[in-house]
Amino acid sequence: MRLAADRILSLLLLGLAAFIAVQAWQLQVPFSYDPVGPKAFPLLLSGLLAVLAIVLFIRPGASGQWPSGALLLRLVITMAVLGIYAALFINLGYLVTTALVSIVIAWLFGATPMKAIIGGLLLALGSYLLFTYGLGISLPTGSWIEPLLGSN
Amino acid sequence: MFDFLIQGFGVALTPLNLGLAFLGALLGTLFGALPGIGPINGIAILMPLAYTLGLPAESALILLAGIYTGSEYGGRMSSILLNVPGDAGAVMTTLDGHPLAKKGLAGPALGLSAVSSFIGATIAIVGLTLFAPLLAVVAVKFGPAEFFALMIFAFASMSAMMGKDPIKTLIGAVLGVLISTVGVDSGTGVLRFTFDMPELYDGIDFVVMIIGLFAVSEILLMLEHAFRHDQEGEMAPIGRVMVKMSEVLYCKWAILRSSVIGFVIGVLPGTGASVASAVAYTTEKRISDHDNSFGTGNMRGLAAPEAANNASAAGSFVPMLTLGIPGSGTTAILLGALMLYNINPGPMMFREQPVVVGGLIASLYIGNVMLLLLNLPLAGVFARVLQVPRWLLVPSVAILAFVGVYQLHSDLMAIYLMLVIGVFGYLLRKFGFSLAPVVLGFVLGGLMEENLRRALSISGGDVGILFQSGLSIGLWIAAALVVLVPMFAGKLKAKFLPAAKPS
Repeated sequence: MRLAADRILSLLLLGLAAFIAVQAWQLQVPFSYDPVGPKAFPLLLSGLLAVLAIVLFIRPGASGQWPSGALLLRLVITMAVLGIYAALFINLGYLVTTALVSIVIAWLFGATPMKAIIGGLLLALGSYLLFTYGLGISLPTGSWIEPLLGSN
Repeated sequence: MFDFLIQGFGVALTPLNLGLAFLGALLGTLFGALPGIGPINGIAILMPLAYTLGLPAESALILLAGIYTGSEYGGRMSSILLNVPGDAGAVMTTLDGHPLAKKGLAGPALGLSAVSSFIGATIAIVGLTLFAPLLAVVAVKFGPAEFFALMIFAFASMSAMMGKDPIKTLIGAVLGVLISTVGVDSGTGVLRFTFDMPELYDGIDFVVMIIGLFAVSEILLMLEHAFRHDQEGEMAPIGRVMVKMSEVLYCKWAILRSSVIGFVIGVLPGTGASVASAVAYTTEKRISDHDNSFGTGNMRGLAAPEAANNASAAGSFVPMLTLGIPGSGTTAILLGALMLYNINPGPMMFREQPVVVGGLIASLYIGNVMLLLLNLPLAGVFARVLQVPRWLLVPSVAILAFVGVYQLHSDLMAIYLMLVIGVFGYLLRKFGFSLAPVVLGFVLGGLMEENLRRALSISGGDVGILFQSGLSIGLWIAAALVVLVPMFAGKLKAKFLPAAKPS
């Protein structure tokens, strides 16, 4: 039996349904006048999800085109870059992280290094000015810059 | 009876709200025109802006509705000029729109689609004005049991109408509802699915969810498209932008028919622009395609889906404003935005929030005229947006997503959560899910459980209450019919019309 993408998905969904059911079952419910309580609705949903997953397993659709090789690598790199962006966003400040991330993403999307650097710098600076002065959003300046400004 | 509209114009015509309607129309058109970013992505990315500006509820809604209708206008540009539909609702526009552009008629095609969008939207907004107060009267009779049945009907009609994969539509909706159960249970205070993470106690934040699901997953999909080098069609020259009166008159019946179809389908809860434009196009093909020229650049084949998808956009406000049930994925986002203002969507909204409802409807009239005035002469300018290179567009989307979430939460956890949801959204889209049912489930999930539990606590746990009133029985039957009829219609046809060729 060929294992179509939908079959894998249906197994994952079955697992999810079981997980939800177990989690919901273990909820400690204090006494209340609510005849239904917090368990019933998730249990109902997990049952429904399980039934739908089984139907999907019996009648899977086309598998579609899944990324592999160089493309998959690029997708992973993009997510990693966004994750690093998030991690450094506050400490390194908006301007620096945005410029770096824009340059890397632009390069991943096929810009020449020169274009990517210029575009990334302009994007960071332009958006910073727009957000801070145009819309009044306060963006993180970065913790490293504060000692340089001599704030004590 | 139309006091709400007069009051609404009073709200919508204040300088602030007029300005916001214009800003929404402009930004919506620009975002809708960006290659690959359709209406639903446009509104997801721009939504935090409404909160950034610190607007009152009605003004925020006017801005967001402007973005919504504006991006429906803008979405047609990439369909016509590049053969790239911005989202599912614009797929039908490519069928005749792009061939027209290839014939050198890109300008007239843009003009005609703007005019048919305008007429479709106008008819539907008038329909909304007439129909909404009537439905609001019925809506007052809704108790929790009826409301629960109504939501079941919404999901049923969505799964029946969303075409290609009803099972995945339902799975998407169930996943959306499940995500909405994360957090403190309002009835008992029990923590559900929070895994001891305090950030999840309040549930998954709406903005984080929407931006992750749409904007972040869009970045990954765009990377894929860029890598495979598909969708990089040559942009057709635009030529004369104005459409001739004779061309509009040639399409007048197509436009009128499709507007009505679009409005009706828009009103049905759960079904939106993609269904409306598909039904309008196939209907029009059957009625007026005498020389088999649909698909090769027939003006009517362009006018029909454009009128229908704009009409359905306005029509989908009917269930949203009167029943609190969104008519489409995009109105689900608008409804979620309203909930952030502590406005409870539901049958009482029309009564309790006349300023918001009236102001929104009035601003739809105003915004629609603005959009026509913007889109006819400036089509060439907006079309230039299509040439923004992806390597600049994608970082911009990432920046908007990060800043949007950061300024609402100032919290790294929210950003990480957004990224995780983004991967989840990407996988769903790769598996062939449409995201609209997920959003609909997410927005309606809390209400659904609340109403179910309220109904059952009225009856002391007796499930019979769900099937007691005539209204709720009617809704259950309607829900069963929309699911069963299409299933059996196919079989009956095959049985009684064995000679009919499959189309």
